[in-house]
Amino acid sequence: MEETVLSIRELTKNYGRIKAVDNLSLDVKRGNVFGILGPNGSGKTTTLGIVLSVINSNGGSFSWFGKEPSKNDRKAIGAILEVPIFYPYLSGEKNLEIIADIKACSYEKIPEVLEIVDLTARKKSKFRTYSLGMKQRLAIAAALVGEPEVLILDEPTNGLDPQGIAEIRELILEIAKRGITIILASHLLDEVQKICSHVIVLDKGKDIFTGKVSEIVNASTLVEISAEDMSSLKKKLEENENVLSSEEEGNLVLVKLKDGYGIKDLNQQLISLNITITHLSVRKKSLENYFLELMAEK
Amino acid sequence: MIRLLKIDYKKIRGSKVFWILTGLYALLIVLFFFGMQGFLDDMAEEANTKSPIPLPGVSAYSLPDIWHNLTYIAGYFKMFIGVVIIIFITNEYSYKTIRQNVISGFSRWDFLKSKFLMIGMISLAATVLVFIIGVILGLLHTEDVTMAKLFGKTEFLLAYFLEMYAFLILAFLVGMLVKRSGFAIGLLLLYFYIVEPVGRYYLPDYIGDYLPKKAIGSMIDIPNTPIMRLLGVQFQDYISIWDVALVLGYVGLFGYLSYLIIKKRDL
Repeated sequence: MEETVLSIRELTKNYGRIKAVDNLSLDVKRGNVFGILGPNGSGKTTTLGIVLSVINSNGGSFSWFGKEPSKNDRKAIGAILEVPIFYPYLSGEKNLEIIADIKACSYEKIPEVLEIVDLTARKKSKFRTYSLGMKQRLAIAAALVGEPEVLILDEPTNGLDPQGIAEIRELILEIAKRGITIILASHLLDEVQKICSHVIVLDKGKDIFTGKVSEIVNASTLVEISAEDMSSLKKKLEENENVLSSEEEGNLVLVKLKDGYGIKDLNQQLISLNITITHLSVRKKSLENYFLELMAEK
Repeated sequence: MIRLLKIDYKKIRGSKVFWILTGLYALLIVLFFFGMQGFLDDMAEEANTKSPIPLPGVSAYSLPDIWHNLTYIAGYFKMFIGVVIIIFITNEYSYKTIRQNVISGFSRWDFLKSKFLMIGMISLAATVLVFIIGVILGLLHTEDVTMAKLFGKTEFLLAYFLEMYAFLILAFLVGMLVKRSGFAIGLLLLYFYIVEPVGRYYLPDYIGDYLPKKAIGSMIDIPNTPIMRLLGVQFQDYISIWDVALVLGYVGLFGYLSYLIIKKRDL
């Protein structure tokens, strides 16, 4: 049986009358790359803050490695919440030393993790002189210092340029290959899709979807079609029982297909019905639309 | 314990603000102590020209009374270090590093312990500074130095250490409470120089005498000078165990309140 790394049961956190986390339960197994997906304010950071013991919950429980939470769990976890947090007047290297001291581990790993995130050349510079990308990279280095069993990353690519985003994602996948369990909070479907194996989707602190990433990706796929004879295309699509929904957008028709009925099947059928297609492509729905749909289903 | 202290030392060692402010404090203390006798002599001379009877001079540096004199005066400068402490604890909040410390593996109590230990070291350093200045000035200005003279009244140094520690823990508590440095410094100054003095004016002595500033400040009472003796005023020239116990009680209270704050609060 897979070992459970993090288990959350019926967790609740209120800020006044607002429920930031609402009766949330989840399990993260060893080796998972677990995504927590949700718009800003959906309770991702609050949830992570609670399991890292910096935020007190109003109810429910959590356990790390099947035990009651203690500071020693956190020594086996590398984590950054929201923005990279360091002493601005200290160098990158000194900041990492403080973290190693807190985790009571040796400094041996520091040169290695600085090398991984490509900051060796700037290790003596003060943190406040770093660019945003360097700060994010130092945060990942900090999370790796104690040779963690679990890595928690909260919006690790926030504010980075495309190249920085690509570098960080590659780095995370690299780390995942070593068998380290990763928990990644993000508001970007694309990011979760590229990196994670499992996902929980949060909205207003509630779990609205839990499962494998492949499921969510299928459910959020739309097909764009246009044809010379738009009116007969629309008619045929409405008659097709494998088409769940279709709507017009400009000179395109957006179609949602049943599971197991692919774009190839649709194309073949339309050809057999003598409809000439001028455009056919797959569109991933924006996360926002997908959330609206998930919420409407609830 | 050593580990916690080392961690906090690493935090302040790289800070220019810390070294500039504490360096300035040390300089101020040294200059004041070395120049103080000249100032007192001038005052005595000035007073003598107006006084119908000859007034005796004051020797601030003679052993063992120097310990009482220096620790009493050094007490007036402690606000300076209080500001340094407030800056350092409120920085942990504004940088959010207190949060990251806990995420990295500190318990909340570890964080507090590392701060209390560092405040102890800073109080100790301030006491050592007074001790060194006292030895130098005392040896230079005392005739027939004996061990008994040199180490007589050094209990005033212990009281000074406690005064400093209790005051800095109070400054720490205020910093913890309001989290923002300017606000915290303002609040501490307001309490120390306005709220408590005014409050004591209206309150009966049996309450007023036990307020924090008064309690912390009156362990070491005003040194007696020959002029005061002439005027028939007599201040407490020893350290009372009850005063010490009261201040220790305040240290415990401030420490406990800090603990409650950090335990209950979302970081």
